Amino acid sequence: MVRETRSGPRFSERFEEFGKRKPVEDGIVARSRRGAIGESWWSGRFLAVLTRLGVGGRLDRGKTYARAGQVIDLAIEPGAVTATVQGSRDEPYRARIGLRVFADEAWDAVLDALAADSWYAAALLAGEVPDDLEDVLARVGLSLFPQGSGELPMDCSCPDWSVPCKHLAAVAYLAAEEFDVDPFALLRWRGRDRATLLAALRDRRDAGAGSPTGLADLLDRFHRPAVPIPDPPGYARAPASDGLLDELPPLEVGGEDVREVLRPLYRRMAEPPA
Amino acid sequence: MPADRLAAVWDTTTATLGVAVLALPSDADAPRDSDDLDREETGPDPGPPVLADWSVPVLELPPGAGPPVPPEGTRASPSVAALRAVDALAADLVTRGRLLPAPDEEDGAAGPRLVWRPVLQGPDLVAADTLAAALPPVCRCEQVPGEEPASAAAVVEAALGAAVDARARARVTGTDELATAPDWAHALGDEPVLGDPAPPDGLVAGLRRWAVVGAPHAGPARASFRLDEVVADEFHHALDDPEPLFRLTFALQSAQDPSLTVDADTVWRDPTALRRWLDDPAEVLLGELGRAARVYPELGDALRVPRPGGMDLDLAGAHHFLAHVAADLDRAGFGVLLPAGWRAGPARLGLAAAGGHTERPDGVVDTGAKIGKDDLVDFSWRLAVDGEELSNAEMDALVRAKAPLVRLRGRWVALDPDRLRDGLAFLAERRDRPTVGDVLHLAVTHPDDVPAPLPVESLRLDGELGDLLAGGTTLEPLDTPPGVRATLRPYQRRGLSWLAFLARLRLGGVLADDMGLGKTLQVLALESHERDGTDRADDRGPTLFVCPTSVVSTWRREAERFVPELRVAVHHGAGRAHPHEAADGADLVVTSYGTLVRDTDAFADLAWRRVVLDEAQMVKNNRSRGAKAVRRLDAEHRLALTGTPVENRLAELWSIMDAVNPGMLGSVSAFRERYAVPVERHGRVDVAEDLRRRTRPFLLRRLKTDPTVVDDLPEKIETVERCGLTAEQASLYRVVVDEMLDKLDDVEPGIERRGRVLAAMTKLKQVCDHPALLLHDGSPIGRRSGKIARLEEILGEVLAAGDRALLFTQFAAFGDMLAPHLAARFDTEVAWLHGGMSRRARDTMVERFQRGDGPSLFLLSLRAGGTGITLTAAQHVVHLDRWWNPAVEDQATDRAFRIGQKRTVGVRKLVCAGTLEERIDDLIAGKRELADLAVRDGEDWLTDLSTAELAQVLTLDAEPEEVDDDDGA
Repeated sequence: MVRETRSGPRFSERFEEFGKRKPVEDGIVARSRRGAIGESWWSGRFLAVLTRLGVGGRLDRGKTYARAGQVIDLAIEPGAVTATVQGSRDEPYRARIGLRVFADEAWDAVLDALAADSWYAAALLAGEVPDDLEDVLARVGLSLFPQGSGELPMDCSCPDWSVPCKHLAAVAYLAAEEFDVDPFALLRWRGRDRATLLAALRDRRDAGAGSPTGLADLLDRFHRPAVPIPDPPGYARAPASDGLLDELPPLEVGGEDVREVLRPLYRRMAEPPA
Repeated sequence: MPADRLAAVWDTTTATLGVAVLALPSDADAPRDSDDLDREETGPDPGPPVLADWSVPVLELPPGAGPPVPPEGTRASPSVAALRAVDALAADLVTRGRLLPAPDEEDGAAGPRLVWRPVLQGPDLVAADTLAAALPPVCRCEQVPGEEPASAAAVVEAALGAAVDARARARVTGTDELATAPDWAHALGDEPVLGDPAPPDGLVAGLRRWAVVGAPHAGPARASFRLDEVVADEFHHALDDPEPLFRLTFALQSAQDPSLTVDADTVWRDPTALRRWLDDPAEVLLGELGRAARVYPELGDALRVPRPGGMDLDLAGAHHFLAHVAADLDRAGFGVLLPAGWRAGPARLGLAAAGGHTERPDGVVDTGAKIGKDDLVDFSWRLAVDGEELSNAEMDALVRAKAPLVRLRGRWVALDPDRLRDGLAFLAERRDRPTVGDVLHLAVTHPDDVPAPLPVESLRLDGELGDLLAGGTTLEPLDTPPGVRATLRPYQRRGLSWLAFLARLRLGGVLADDMGLGKTLQVLALESHERDGTDRADDRGPTLFVCPTSVVSTWRREAERFVPELRVAVHHGAGRAHPHEAADGADLVVTSYGTLVRDTDAFADLAWRRVVLDEAQMVKNNRSRGAKAVRRLDAEHRLALTGTPVENRLAELWSIMDAVNPGMLGSVSAFRERYAVPVERHGRVDVAEDLRRRTRPFLLRRLKTDPTVVDDLPEKIETVERCGLTAEQASLYRVVVDEMLDKLDDVEPGIERRGRVLAAMTKLKQVCDHPALLLHDGSPIGRRSGKIARLEEILGEVLAAGDRALLFTQFAAFGDMLAPHLAARFDTEVAWLHGGMSRRARDTMVERFQRGDGPSLFLLSLRAGGTGITLTAAQHVVHLDRWWNPAVEDQATDRAFRIGQKRTVGVRKLVCAGTLEERIDDLIAGKRELADLAVRDGEDWLTDLSTAELAQVLTLDAEPEEVDDDDGA
């Protein structure tokens, strides 16, 4: 808002308004066709930072860009969302929205907390940012979301001086839609991708599971089963002992179908020896 | 222990001796004993053991042989049991064909080998994984130089593979199947090497491709939830009323094979074991739990631990889960396993009522007195769950229950709390005692019309009321009233008792016994019973019998014959007066439906003790004039008699019940919606049963096949059916009689006179059958014969019951007329056996009838069919006209009534009232009682009568019965 007041409407912006945007084939098109973008509370929290910047009609034009598929590519990486946006000029613009990644020590503390309470991983795996994840982060002095525009450095190669410009806005909207469907993307922005995060949680969980596998750790129950030895399955005679053969692809060998060569053997095997 | 001693102990001949390096828990100088050995503690505590390698003598067992059974008096270590379990799984896999041949990846020098590999999928995969989890560490103690110690899964996999291969080879080796297989297949028997001749091209590569199909897989997984009651521990047992505790266990379940379910705890303990099934079992489980938490938010709290395995639920929580969450989870695609016996949705709450002991309204306990409609009944209401009545203790438990989830009879049921509260409130209010009338009304009223918050599911009454609700067949039978000139059979005495009980309560009834069981007699006995002794003074007016025209005279005759003391009046026919005259001083007034319709206003002005509707199917259409006229009658009590309470549609039953108990079954539209449509259109047996239960107190139906009746039944039941004459028949009859009597005066006794008499009598009998028989004019049958009208009614019942009948006539011409007429009338085949047929044609006809696939009606000429043939497929015999010698009729009757007949045979003799047929019937009846009287053959004895006697016998004595066309219409 401060920037907006200071800079005021500029010629370049007006120029851009009238410049026709160049159509993009296979651009990233926002799923949302009208109204707000960003269905989840977490993408809403992210976009709120943008909205507070309130750069006139640029957010709306960015939304239009996002819906028109002007964003050619978009990557959410630790520390930055980067994208290529097609504007009215031939050369697409490079847009980047930065966000500070958590330090490794901070991540360790966060992961310890998450591993101790599987609710967080469960919700994330179910496609949701748990609403109390912020509390966990707050305990180590962090927040998932930028606390203000100062924590959200944005730049774009377009001539518009205002930040965000419509290109950055379009990128933000598409990133928000990505966060909607994959909350891990938000965490990746903060420095840990899904696989790394889950592996770290798994290690912590397994470490606490107390199921050593080395023989040296099992001396106290060396001769004992860990769980009761199951009874034999004791299935009733299978209705068709050669049923598995019917699932196999044909195999022609020496002029004979191997399945049919085997079939009498399978039937024979169904009769346990006396 | 030296190896040879080991072998001796185990007594095995298949094992070989060897040496292996084993890593064992050890003290400084020796491996420590297995903790399974019961040794006395000696010496000081040696401290914790360390793992050390030892070279140990071993017995090497061939794969597939299975571990030997431990010798008597010794106990094998759990490791032996584990190996035995592996071997059992292997044997089972082979039996079920869960194995595939595969090239051995370690090609031997002699050439590639084929091996049998287990195919572990679905439950088998879980079984193998469970075995790995259970495997005692000692099973992994063998150290192979240069190799990592094997994991439990690897040990199980290797042991299982070796056992499957060995067992499969053993089962096919030496069999004909293998002997006739191509050469390469012998590599699957006892010659594992694929060698000479060289295996066909593509075999090894093809089998390798097959291995993909046999790879372990269990498909995608979902979370599943299993609810169990936690068995209370000792602490809880110590409490007086421990609240039950439930445990909801989380699990991973294969979406393809729900039997493949792994508890979350197993997933956390050893996620690697499941990685053959899923890449990230733990993550899949967590994600699924997170998804389920959206459906079931309480689940979130249970996830607030590192490795959630389940959650504890109190009673309220369990109820919430059972009543709501389980269905939501199921809809969302999760697996849900509920306690045994649990049924989806709340249990059906209902009311059960019980009572029995009655008391007069004035409070006087009058033992021995008859129950009256206004007597009070000791009555109690209870709750019923899913139709089971609760005990007091169980109801108390419900009142105390903190959640609407209760344990009843070994299973958990959820109850709708609102309905439970309403039900308990209703029970608290109902303390007053209902009257007998109230209770019976309750029994028949549809639940929707009962002013109770819950459906009344059962009504149990003791004593006579209970007998009535049970259908009346358990009521104490009444003795034959002294005024009845017949001996009632036991089932008839029970019927009388039922009728008398209903009459006392002023409740209408439908007596729907099979035809031939004596409905008329039972009703006449009721009339006599009520007028016997003291009640005689209490004259509540006459009883009105309404019946089809064709049986008006039968009713009158039967009444005169069985209850001669009762005064019977007939209000019927052209010359009838005002019904008031007939009713005056009479006990019974008989009329026809047609007459009732015509004189409705006059009948409606009179007060009747009872209205009896005979052949009540006449009022099955409740909008017919007959039914409307019946409804206008003012009667204290109503009875309906019918052999077929429902001919075509259930609504007929409503009409008949409504005619005797107006309003009892509700409106006809409600009846259609509640019963007729569900039963007729949707085939709802339960609804039909409900209707039967509700109408049972007021509808008594005994079948001839009913075992309780069969024993009571005579082997044959003979009845004489009196039919009316049409006006045409009556005038023809008079003409024939007058003409004959005229001419007899001119003739001397002798052959000529005799001939004339016989000719006249033949003519008269023909007139009784049908006018066309005398006139020989080939005119249509129409409605010109009262006898045929009655015959059609009888046959309608016979056919409706699915029975067969023999019809005998002495006139071939009558048979010729009747066969096509009946065939058209009933749209059925009618066999007609007469003297003009060839022997073979007769035999074929008889055979078809006996076999059961032929016609149901069999018309026979008395002369052609009266002897020599067996027709036991018939349950009914109708004699269309009389033969004067009863022996001839009996002989004909015996066609149906012979060895091989297992049912009671109903024998009907059709007789026209007021004619010589009836007169002669009386004579024969009289004669038959005289055992010593030899009846001469033929009809000669008639011809010896004097003219005056003949005139007396032959003259038509009653007004002809009109056969109304609009009976009950």
